[in-house]
Amino acid sequence: MKNLIITNNPAVAEKNNNTVLFVDGSVEETLIMVRDKVHSGYELISHPLAASLRMMFSPFRSVILGKKSNKIDAFSAEIIEDSIIKYKRHMDFRKKDSANCEDYKMIDLILLESAIHEQAVTW
Amino acid sequence: MKLEIGRIYIKDIQLGNETSVKDGVLTVDKDGLISNLKEDERIRDVVIDVAKPGEKVRIIPVKDVIEPRVKVQGGNNGFPGVTSKQAQCGEGRTHVLYGAAVVTVGDIVGFQEGVIDMWGEGAKWTPFSKTYNLTVDIQVAAGLNPHTHEETVRIAGLRVAEFIGLAGENLTPDEVLTFEIGSIFEETAKYPDLPKVVYAEMNITQGLLHDTYIYGVNQSGILPALLHANEELDNAVISGNCVAACDKITTYQHQNNSVIYDLYAQHGKEINFLGVIMVPEHTTLAGKLRASDYTVKLAKMLGADAVVVSEEGYGNPDSDLLMICKKCEKSGIKTVLITDECAGRDGMSQPLADTAVEAVAVVSGGNVSHVVTLPPADKVIGNAAAISVLSGGWEGSLLEDGTLMCELNAVIGATSEIGFHNVTCRLY
Repeated sequence: MKNLIITNNPAVAEKNNNTVLFVDGSVEETLIMVRDKVHSGYELISHPLAASLRMMFSPFRSVILGKKSNKIDAFSAEIIEDSIIKYKRHMDFRKKDSANCEDYKMIDLILLESAIHEQAVTW
Repeated sequence: MKLEIGRIYIKDIQLGNETSVKDGVLTVDKDGLISNLKEDERIRDVVIDVAKPGEKVRIIPVKDVIEPRVKVQGGNNGFPGVTSKQAQCGEGRTHVLYGAAVVTVGDIVGFQEGVIDMWGEGAKWTPFSKTYNLTVDIQVAAGLNPHTHEETVRIAGLRVAEFIGLAGENLTPDEVLTFEIGSIFEETAKYPDLPKVVYAEMNITQGLLHDTYIYGVNQSGILPALLHANEELDNAVISGNCVAACDKITTYQHQNNSVIYDLYAQHGKEINFLGVIMVPEHTTLAGKLRASDYTVKLAKMLGADAVVVSEEGYGNPDSDLLMICKKCEKSGIKTVLITDECAGRDGMSQPLADTAVEAVAVVSGGNVSHVVTLPPADKVIGNAAAISVLSGGWEGSLLEDGTLMCELNAVIGATSEIGFHNVTCRLY
């Protein structure tokens, strides 16, 4: 089964073009797209937030979704809603770190690949 | 398992033509060290320098901090599984150049941060302003991919710690600490009435610049692992993450894990300290569920009455922390959580990305969003351009004279989630 990757990172879209939903916009818009998909029945495979504050300043973010079902996965919905609140709290007053765009693209791609490699989801 | 740590007090550090410790002064053979490092063909150039407490020196961007040591009895010298052959860590005797630190510097990506100021306001916030630091700036060969680049710098820092640690081999330590805990059956027979406590140490394990290694094994690919408390104090655990400056656990902090020290201090008095579960922090929700299930299962198998859980990083690891908390508490195992807060500049916002009613005993390592103003340095070791990365990223955060405003987030060890730092909590 293929996962669905929601990303605003062009480097991710280039490498995974048939499984990607590309968001031509900000990280916040990407997370909102993830939320909409979760509310339409997709479950979260990877956590929407990174593991450090510095990575939260990244202008790029990729999130992996799994299977779509007929009902909303409450666990996924809670996590994405909390993540959006947390993200906005940090970034509303802050400029994105756009000087290092290329490095952020690369690390976002590498961390995404690590997450895909972490566990092949087949259920 | 019994480990003796012999501390040799270091009161000064200088560069010279031999590596030795005399009357507390550590001299480092600079040329010998550089040629030793350059045996690794991936290293193109090395710049060695020193930074002492009180000097108007800024080190940036810091990759890792490592304590120089030598194994004098038992095991293998260095970092078994990484710089030397596999051996059991945590037994025998290890000499430590106490008060000295190896600080590796170098950009792997442009947005790396991590500052150590040796003086003034900045020095207040990092524990590594008090150590005599040997800084090692590694320039790697052209064309290395990012993973190889990171590995090269990581291993080089460990080799430097091993190289200069040898100076302590034949010295008589100023102080010897003894760490000894037997099997859980022996200790429980000795202290049948004391509560059995396990330490669950969460580590970032999410990919490049976000990894932790145990005996050289990348923790991202393994289930939570049970260690004897002595192993981590004796070079078994290495940091490979260099993004979360304020709350990453440097290798030095693994070697001197404050939680382990404190639990050891209470062993046989208030508690029966059973051991350490090393918990990987995964990116996937399935990984988080698996690691938290497995941690609680290990705690139950050990018969733990309580688990002390420390986090590393911020954001998605908050979920792991609270999953472990909820599952332990539901199993009748009490928890104490150690974390730091992203509570906004005024400290008033909700501190974690996740919450749980079961989290009733939580220790804060400080607020990563607290803003500090750092005046310009006389000397910058590393990459001065990284200072603009360090600044807060809002209008006016970097002034013309070089004064910068940044969040504690950028300062190495400022809000340590294992309590190895300068910040404390106070009730008002």
